[in-house]
Amino acid sequence: MTEVAAWLSHVDYQVAVILFLVGLYILLSSQNLIKKVIGLNVMETAVFAFIVTSGMVDRHAPPLVNDTVAPLASPLPHALVLTGIVVAISVTALALILIVRVKAECGSIELDEIGELDEIRDASESGESAR
Amino acid sequence: MSRWSHWLPLVALVPVVGGALVPVLFRRHGRAAYAWTVVVAASTTLVAVMLMQRLSVEGPFSYAAGGWLAPYGIELRFDRIAAITIPFSLIAGLAMVFSRAYAERAVDPARVPFYYALLLINLGGVNGFLITGDLFNLFVFVEIFSVSAYALVATARGPVPGLAALQYLLFGAVSSLLVLFAVGVVFAHTGSLNLEDAAGRMDFSKPMPVALALGGFAIGFAVKAALFPVHLWLPDAHAAAPAPVSAILSALVVKTGVVGMLRTFELFAGAEAMLSTLFTLLIWLGALGALGGAVMAFVQRDIKLMLAYSTVTNIGYVFIGLGLANLNAAGGAGVHVVNHAVIKTTLFLAVGAVIHRTGLRDIDDLRGLSRRMPLTAFALAFGLMALAGIPPTAGFVGKWQIALGALEAGRPGLMAVVIIGGVLVLAYGIRVINAMYFRAPASVRVLGADEAPASMWLPVLILAAGCLALGLAGRMTVDFAMMAMRSVYPP
Repeated sequence: MTEVAAWLSHVDYQVAVILFLVGLYILLSSQNLIKKVIGLNVMETAVFAFIVTSGMVDRHAPPLVNDTVAPLASPLPHALVLTGIVVAISVTALALILIVRVKAECGSIELDEIGELDEIRDASESGESAR
Repeated sequence: MSRWSHWLPLVALVPVVGGALVPVLFRRHGRAAYAWTVVVAASTTLVAVMLMQRLSVEGPFSYAAGGWLAPYGIELRFDRIAAITIPFSLIAGLAMVFSRAYAERAVDPARVPFYYALLLINLGGVNGFLITGDLFNLFVFVEIFSVSAYALVATARGPVPGLAALQYLLFGAVSSLLVLFAVGVVFAHTGSLNLEDAAGRMDFSKPMPVALALGGFAIGFAVKAALFPVHLWLPDAHAAAPAPVSAILSALVVKTGVVGMLRTFELFAGAEAMLSTLFTLLIWLGALGALGGAVMAFVQRDIKLMLAYSTVTNIGYVFIGLGLANLNAAGGAGVHVVNHAVIKTTLFLAVGAVIHRTGLRDIDDLRGLSRRMPLTAFALAFGLMALAGIPPTAGFVGKWQIALGALEAGRPGLMAVVIIGGVLVLAYGIRVINAMYFRAPASVRVLGADEAPASMWLPVLILAAGCLALGLAGRMTVDFAMMAMRSVYPP
């Protein structure tokens, strides 16, 4: 269990895991679509924080210069997280656009008010055949 | 071979750039966008075939993007697993050919160019994912094909697609995040992002990071592949999307989860105990998904929902094959990935042609369809037979091979799962065939329907012929797949 203890002794990793779980809880428990997207963003932030802080290398050899072992901030995770943020923004933008469409077509952004997809499907089909 | 060395990135770049150019060039010309899309997809297939030629001469080869050599630069690799870019590009191309008439009715006219752009970008993402040898690049391509897939689902009209796409997005985004998290853990643990290099640097004496990375990849790709308890997004998204999109999602996008697992398992070759636990779990979930999906498909009235649940069944078979971890079963899983893609595309496109002409999706409403749309009905019936795995169709080869692998591993119970699943598929297949061929038409819309236009029945019949050809060439494809799996499952 020393290994587990060593992993958990990283305060930054603990924070990342807690943030991730908070985001997951919001995503799963909330009925409001906007809140779900917020939860998703909290999770994304947690993963980015984890990757950026893991870039502070003080135990492993640096990736490029192998003969020195010293604390360093690896530039690579920062580049990764920049790319990740761009991806996260595009996902969030798409989610918000879809929420706008759901609001326009179903009249609500609360999942419990919208109801199950099956009901909507049946309702829209019976509407079509009535036409 | 320097003349050929730059071809490898093209298999991903051609469709991505070609797709990005569609809204720029053809914003107001849906028809021109269609022609351009088909040409780009054909070129992509051609590039893949040329790469395959080089593979057969030289064996697996790699390409250093920008001239930066691995392990520091981004490495692209073309091996036997990556060879599925050929059938995938071909399938996507045929689905794009099919879209000509379908998109005009199913998609808002102003969005048609974007629809084609997204189809191409999605294909580029899938191809790039298949050829990448770099972990972060893997994540980027995952997001390229995922985000384009969410948007593609939403291109259909009506209230359901928007919500189904959003549901798909939420599931998909969490799974992509888990993949990114695992990539981060591997990077923090090994200091490398190159798959091969990182695999060599993994330190298995520290179980915590290894377990976290393996768990992240496994759960992330299981969601992408719609493995049993995390398949919940699939039926709604696949049923709500336009038919060609449903075909591509079932044929290509879901399979990337399978390939993703295969690729990342290489990292954990030293953690036998963890891997064997995971394999046992994959077998159980695969078996539950295969049976559960078959039962759910059986009770559906909507034919697209039925096909969507049958994807869950077939993914279950594939994971049984992967989890058995012997060469026979894994080879069978590899063959089934491609064969199921061809079969399911045939089915979704044939159903799309029916919906295009009649607007009907209910199985009972399809009565008497064979009289009005003989070609489409034939392809649909043949595809269902192939799905059930009747020899000598394509569905038989992979399932038979997985069943053989189950016997080899001393688990005849799994062979029973494969057979029972096949019987259930046959049962619902016969229900549809009976309605189409042996019942009098009940719906006015069926009576008034004509055969679909050539841009629809031609790709559907080509794919149906593929269902037969892949079955007849079974020995060859199995040998190839077993060779491909040898890198993941050493004998």
